[in-house]
Amino acid sequence: MNATVTQPQTGPFLPEITTKSNKRRKSTQYSRMKQEKESLRTGSSQIISKGEISQFRNSPKQNICVELLREGYHRSFSELFFLLGADRDRRAAAEPGSNLRLQTPLDQQLDKLETMKRHLSRAEEAERTGSWMVVCDQRLLLGWYFSAPKDLWLSLHFYHSCTDREQGSHSRPATEARVCMAEAYLKLGELEQARQQAELCVKQAEDSSWVDSDGRPLRLRAREALWRIYSRLADAPLEAADYDQALKLLYKGYNMATESEDKQIEWEGAYRLGLTYQSAGDNDTAKQFFTTCMEISGTLQDADKLGKSYKAMAKSIESEGNIQDTLECLEKLADISRCNGLQHNLVDAFLCLGNIYHTTSQYTRACEYFLQGYEVACELGDVALLQKAQVLAANARAHSLIWKFSADVESASPAALRRLIAWKESGRHQGLYR
Amino acid sequence: MEAKPRVLGTTSKMIPLALPKGTDKLCELCQREARLQCTECRVTFYCDEEHQQADWVGIHERICQLLAPIRTPTLYSLQRAGRIETQLKKAELIEICRLVGQSKLSEGKHQEALPAAQFCLRCSIDLHGPSTVQMVPAYLLLAEANMGLGNLARVAELLSQAEWAVLKSPECGHAVRHRLHRSLGRLHTATGNLEAALLNFADDIYFASEEYSLDSTVTCGGYFLMADVFTKQGKMPIARSLYSQVAHTWHCHLTKLLKTHVQNGQNPNMLLESSYDKAQLVEVDEMLKTMLEFEQNDSRKDSTQVALVAHCLAMLWFLGGDSLKALGFGSTALQASQLIPNHDLTEPIQGLLQLVQNLQTESHPGSD
Repeated sequence: MNATVTQPQTGPFLPEITTKSNKRRKSTQYSRMKQEKESLRTGSSQIISKGEISQFRNSPKQNICVELLREGYHRSFSELFFLLGADRDRRAAAEPGSNLRLQTPLDQQLDKLETMKRHLSRAEEAERTGSWMVVCDQRLLLGWYFSAPKDLWLSLHFYHSCTDREQGSHSRPATEARVCMAEAYLKLGELEQARQQAELCVKQAEDSSWVDSDGRPLRLRAREALWRIYSRLADAPLEAADYDQALKLLYKGYNMATESEDKQIEWEGAYRLGLTYQSAGDNDTAKQFFTTCMEISGTLQDADKLGKSYKAMAKSIESEGNIQDTLECLEKLADISRCNGLQHNLVDAFLCLGNIYHTTSQYTRACEYFLQGYEVACELGDVALLQKAQVLAANARAHSLIWKFSADVESASPAALRRLIAWKESGRHQGLYR
Repeated sequence: MEAKPRVLGTTSKMIPLALPKGTDKLCELCQREARLQCTECRVTFYCDEEHQQADWVGIHERICQLLAPIRTPTLYSLQRAGRIETQLKKAELIEICRLVGQSKLSEGKHQEALPAAQFCLRCSIDLHGPSTVQMVPAYLLLAEANMGLGNLARVAELLSQAEWAVLKSPECGHAVRHRLHRSLGRLHTATGNLEAALLNFADDIYFASEEYSLDSTVTCGGYFLMADVFTKQGKMPIARSLYSQVAHTWHCHLTKLLKTHVQNGQNPNMLLESSYDKAQLVEVDEMLKTMLEFEQNDSRKDSTQVALVAHCLAMLWFLGGDSLKALGFGSTALQASQLIPNHDLTEPIQGLLQLVQNLQTESHPGSD
């Protein structure tokens, strides 16, 4: 007998006990169970792996550390662990309630941890194969990543680890790290450190045509950084009126500025030097520097800078006592400001001119200039400035009207008093009240 | 001349049928029907001579006197004060067992450590309950003993119970977790599941760093075990890097110890206290020798590493008191250190060799 043939024949022999709908439900239930069993057997993706469980259960710090270790990057782990410990110590040492305490701890900032993990592991991989450039590059990237003010200490750590290495510390990325480090120290205010690093950087970048990541030549960037540092360093001696020290530093800065091929900072360097010489009383040298300033602003086509140079020059000439030249200078300043629409400078120029005429007792002309200044200030809408102009104008007008009689007022002799009363009654003083 | 036979406790036969109904006495080691009774304490039972002797050597000699008060129920022991006292006594017992077991394990006597570890476990379950965090050290001890004997199935069982205990109590400290993960890692290395082993060792190192510090010798142990796994996987650069880290840490540690030893050498009383634990000595020696072999078999001879490791071994044996070995390793170290570019190990090594020679001439004044 054929077994395969008998099968279908036995089916309809027996009566159908279960209704059709029941049968269908039952079969689907069974087939569903079968499906689940199949998926359990084959689809291990439906069961969560141990790694995923630990991602849920453990802290982000633990997850990152364990991942680093598992892949064999134990030195990255040590560095990361050390940095997290350092962050903890810093926050513990800070006073309660201070800004430092209120920041989120580093071990809870997942994106920063991830970035550190990525770059540190790449650096360690490169270190094992001996490609020092890549190592320095990765660390430089990390230094940039932490450029926020509260993370500057982290940034400095990475820059240092880039530049203080045994091998590769004279490569391009390391030199760039050095200049970034100098800038970071400047931001923090540690000027001595900044100076050391910047000077080293200038030496390193000397004969190279290395370019930083923005495309700027490193030796120029280093010089600019050094100029900025010298400028800041000169602040302290200036306040203490130690002009020699300040001038020394500013000169060094000015040399750096000229070498950095950036006209803007060259102008600033010359300007500061001129101002310092002015405060020190050496007006001739100051004037030389201001002339240089004027030239540079000419090449730069910067009217604002030109205006500033003229003003400073005028002050110098005035301190020498040469009124005529001062007036010329100030007239030029007024012209420039007018042509270039620099209203603020124009007001300044007018007020200065007025002052000069006032001091030389030419009160009418002084008054004129003050009034002009007042009008411009009105246009500008600067209330403080226009009030100042008003006061000065009124002062000048008053002086212009009574200068004849000021001597009489002072002497207070009977004849003088009679003359004063006559003048009062004549009504010519009406001008005063206008 | 015959050596005096060692007395391994005295037993007396007992008849199981003579016991009151419902009070079956079970063998201490195998929990089967017992036919022998210890005559000293009278509360410990064994199924045969073999088990009795194993237990005596393992732990019973130490705790025989202490068992009697715990195992005989009295009216007092059923009251509250009595119960507290019993608990304290049990805790003491657990501690003694643990120490005995640990010392036997460090000497490498795994079979002998079994009774102590088993008793420790049973007592802990009694005192604390089956899956509490205080149980974990007992589980780990027994697991280690079995690992030495090769019963990996039993080890897996014990460690999973320990893991469950740790999972149930999330507030247990980092030290417990680090030891658990280390044992798990070793189990996985032995069974060949290298990925799981790496994961566990990574956890172990993380917790050890949290608990002790990044450069403590405990964390180093974890690095060493991990390097072993990487060697098995064939990732030699990683293993080399890990070994150099271990060598570095141990070098610092041993240099410090040597310094204090030399300083205290002036004061002979202090010398006795600073003696290095014999068992730990053997363990560290093993580890350093493995590393030295690895370096010497390596194609690219890293002289710095060889010099470091050999120097560590020399210092270790000097502190351990074996001058010959110290001299041997010292000379290897000196040879290797001449090949390093900046020679900064040569001086310390020469200093050490000098010390060893001085010590030798002190102890054998006539042989110079």
